[in-house]
Formats: sequence, structure tokens, C-alpha cells
Amino acid sequence: MNPNIVETLNVAREVAWLPWAVQYFFLIGLSYGAFLLSLPGIVFRRPGWAGISRLALLGALVCGLAAPVALLADLHQPGRFWHFYAYFTPSSWMSWGAFFIPVYLGGLLMYAWLAFRPELARHAQSGGKLAGLAGVLAYGGHESRGALKAAALLAFVGAALVALYTGAEVAVVQARPLWNTPLLPLQFFITAFAGAVGLALLFNRFGPKDEAAKRRMAGVLAASQVAALAVGALWLALGLSGVSPVHAQALAEVGPSANWQLSAAWAVAATVLTLVLAWRRPGSGLVIGLLALHSAWMMRWSIFIGGQEVPKTGAGYYTYSLPLGPEGLMGIVGTAGLWVFLFVFITTLLPLDRLAAGNTDKAAA
Amino acid sequence: MNKASQTLDRVASATAPASPSRRNFLRGVPVVTAAAALAPTPAIASTGKQQWAMLIDVRKCIGCQACTVSCIQENAVPEGSFRTVVSTYSVKLTDSAQPAGTYVLPRLCNHCDNPPCIPVCPVSATYKREDGIVAVDGDRCVGCAYCVQACPYDARFINHETNKADKCTFCAHRVDAGLLPACVETCVGGARIFGDINDPEGELARRLKEAQPQLKVLKPELETAPRVFYIGLDERFTGKVEGQGTLWKPRSLPHA
Repeated sequence: MNPNIVETLNVAREVAWLPWAVQYFFLIGLSYGAFLLSLPGIVFRRPGWAGISRLALLGALVCGLAAPVALLADLHQPGRFWHFYAYFTPSSWMSWGAFFIPVYLGGLLMYAWLAFRPELARHAQSGGKLAGLAGVLAYGGHESRGALKAAALLAFVGAALVALYTGAEVAVVQARPLWNTPLLPLQFFITAFAGAVGLALLFNRFGPKDEAAKRRMAGVLAASQVAALAVGALWLALGLSGVSPVHAQALAEVGPSANWQLSAAWAVAATVLTLVLAWRRPGSGLVIGLLALHSAWMMRWSIFIGGQEVPKTGAGYYTYSLPLGPEGLMGIVGTAGLWVFLFVFITTLLPLDRLAAGNTDKAAA
Repeated sequence: MNKASQTLDRVASATAPASPSRRNFLRGVPVVTAAAALAPTPAIASTGKQQWAMLIDVRKCIGCQACTVSCIQENAVPEGSFRTVVSTYSVKLTDSAQPAGTYVLPRLCNHCDNPPCIPVCPVSATYKREDGIVAVDGDRCVGCAYCVQACPYDARFINHETNKADKCTFCAHRVDAGLLPACVETCVGGARIFGDINDPEGELARRLKEAQPQLKVLKPELETAPRVFYIGLDERFTGKVEGQGTLWKPRSLPHA
């Protein structure tokens, strides 16, 4: 900071991408991450992965269905969402995203339905809550591997496109040096995947406790944390050395701020703690799961809300305080509420313990 | 000097014969002064020949914020939002007995020739008119605020009354009627000069040519090709200003 200049009068611009956007990027990231985690057990039938992959697919569904609602709510004209389809603009990543989301969600819904049909039929037979609906949804309850693989492929393509566009959309914004780095999409991806593992660990805690699955997930989580730290170190090295001007600019923008130094220290500490616990105490499933989820959310909050606190022309930083209404806290609470509703609804049809049981007695289901 | 005579002076200072654009301005003057019910002049933008631009002579700006206020009045900008503002800085002086001086910098949409806000718009709601003005189609805008993020000059915002992207339009509605933008009309120091960059006889082109060696734009390294030019722009203020943050914040309305 140059103490010779004091800004006495200027405009403080408000954040224009609200906490809804943080929720969207968090949930859609968890969804595609969890989808990837669903593949080894469900599509590739890797031994010991069935339960993990079913729990992950449940997470992908719940998060994937809640995410677009948050995205719509972040539009200041949500009723005009159809304009995205009427006025396609190929120069805009956001415009492409409007087409990628349905590809992903369409593929995911088909894949999840095909994967869970036998379970739905089982639930219908057991006569539990919403058994009638489960019976209708099961539609015979047959397993069709060919269709399942085709749907998984479609969802995979969609997931890759969603991961690409959500990263690129932010990374191309030259006006915000903090966002404008080629590493940002990779950082979004790694934290999203780690968060998805965290979510599966959380689900596993509330199903029948499967120690083997927990340890396997702890291993995957530890690896993701190593990747997150490596990319973070690369980001810092590129910024400090000046090898990459965009990274140097990003670092210069936030480096002098005490708030940002605290955020960075917090992020590194949380990642190291998750890594150490996952590695040395792989049995601490719930704790490392929550830590990973927290890191994924915090990363997005810092990038989006923190990034918008950096004035583009003015001196210093804007200060953000979370409003309590729909443009702030209620956006976060509302999205969480929708998530809980979807979770309760889906786990009524597909009880958690039955999904998680795949690891122990039905590895080849 | 009142604003009308200022405009007249500016128009009269050009050499004859007057260009169509200046004739338009001249014709528009009585509308401002006497509010006479003149028939609207033909839409000068429709020819596509004009390229509107602004020159800001920072040396003449006194930081009175008359432009800020007139813009709010003219465009019904909601409380707490601004399409233009005069950023004001207290700068320590080393070569004077005075401890500090004031530096003022009028800011507005730069109507870039290579505008970063346009390609990001997912519904093509923001566009460049034939006359160079960067505009937002309010009927199409979805309020996603991607353009707000992409603008390197913090010139855009979400208008909480319309829930759409908002920004300076160079007062396109006035320009189309042959009038000057409100901020130019109101500027007491004559610091803002507006006109057609393609009219070699016009005052803007003449002043731009005269000032060529000291002409600057904001953030030239981004290659946005701004159509707002500055005379007397201090190097320390062309990008994000390195200094202590603002001491005053406007009260913003709670979001609708």
C-alpha cells in the first residue's frame, strides 16, 4: 500500500455474484466429484467399492438437483432463464454452461435411475415408506448393464463439460486477476472431488459403519489433499518467482491483505490437517469428511465473495458483510434446506443403510 | 458561465462549415435551455458514421460531482449506485509547502472499442451500437452479472430497481436527440468534451489531436481500446490505485 495516497471519495461496488453463486459452484462441484466416485463401484465393479459408489451417487443426485436452483436464484431475472436457450452466445462460457448442465443432469438422472432400479424394486417389495412410488419408479426393477454404461458415459461427458465450463467461466475474467489464472479450474476440480469424498464419508457415518470403505475413502482423500497442496504450492511459486505474470498479479492483488493472509493460512492448515488425519488416522471418517467439505466451500467463498471485495480501480478493499435476506444468509440456508429435503426424499426411497450395504454382502450387485 | 453558453462556446469554437453532428448539437441546445418542444432530430446514430467518444481534461476538473448528480437525475440511477463518479484522492506532496493535494479522476463506462463485457454476456444482451456506444438491451438481460465481473473499470452494476445490468450509456437517449450527455452539459469546469471521433472538424477530434502527446486511457495494458480519453492522467491512477482505501461509502438500498 502506498501511504502517500488516500482515497477520500469513490464508489464501493457491491458483490454481484451473491452467496447463491457460491452455493451453486459448491454443489455442482460436489455433484460431479461424487459422480466420478460412483464409477469404480457401479460401472467398473471394482471390489470393495460398491457401497462407496452408491453413497457417492446418492450425493451426486442430491447436490446435482439442488445446484441449478441456486444458479437460477443468483440470476437477478430468474424468470428469463429461457433466454439462455433462445439467445445462444458462443463467445460466453456461461452460455455454453446452460447447455452443459442439462447434458450432465440428464445423463446423471438416467444413470442413477438405471443403477438404483433394483434397489427401488427391493424397497417397493419391503413395503416401507413411499413403497408405492418406489415401485412405479423401479418400473420392473431390471438391471440393464448396457444402458447403464451408456448413461454413465453421457453423464461423464456432461460432468467433464461442467467441470470445464465452471472453471473456465471464472478463469477468463481478466478484470479480476485473482480469478484470471490457468490453475483456477484445476483447483476447483481438486477441491470439488475432495469435498465429494468428504460427502461420501459423511453418508457412510450415518449408514452401517463400514470400516474398510472408510479407510479406502481416507486414502483417496489423502491423495486429493496432496494434489491440492501441490497445486497451491505451484500457484504460489509461479506468483512469487514472477515466471507467470498472471499469477504474480493475482498474488499481488491479495498478498498485502491481512484478511487474505488469514484465509490462505486457514486453507493450508485445513488441508494439511485433513491430509495428516486421513493418512495417520484413516478411521476418523466423519472429521476428515467434514473438513474436506468445509475446505471446498471455503475455497469458493473466498474466491467469489473475497474476489469481489477487490476493487478493480479503487484503492484498498471493499468490505462485505453478509446480508440476512435472500441475497445473503437466506440464500445459503435456503439451498441447504432444499438439499436436506432432497436428501430425505431420496433416502426414503433408497434407504442409506441399504445403499451402503453393498460393500459387505453384495459387492457384485 | 452557465451550462448552455458553455455548450454554445464549445460548438462555436469549431471552424465552419459545421458538421451534421455539431448542427445536431446546436439544434439541441434550445431544448435544454428553453425546454422548447422541438421535433426530435433524426437519429444521428443510424448513419453509422459517428463514433462517440469523450475526452476528460483532469486539469479542469474541480471534483464538484455535478456530473455525478446530473447523471443520477437524468438516468434515475438508484440510491447507492453510480454510472459516473469523480474519484477523489488526497495525495502527499513532496515538492510543495502544502502537505497534501487533491487529485480527482472522473470515471464512467469507457465504451471500449474492444469491450470485455460483450463476449461474456450469455444472451447477447450487451452490444456495441454502430456509433460506438456500448449498450444493454434491458428486455433481454437476465441479470447474471457476468458483464459486471468482466468490466475492468468497475463501471457496471446491477440496478436493484430493474434487476438488470446497468452502466453509463453516454446518455444515448440524449445523444440520439442531438443533445450532449448530462455529465458534459453540467460540468462546470468544462472538463468533459464529448463528440464524434470521426469528425476531423469537430472539437473532440481537434482537442484529441492537440493533446496527443499527453493523451492517456485507463488500464491500457488490457488493450480494451477505451473511447474515454484523459489529459492530465497521473500514472499512479491509470490502474488499480495503490493507496489507502476509501474513507466514505455510499449508503446502498437493501436489495429488492
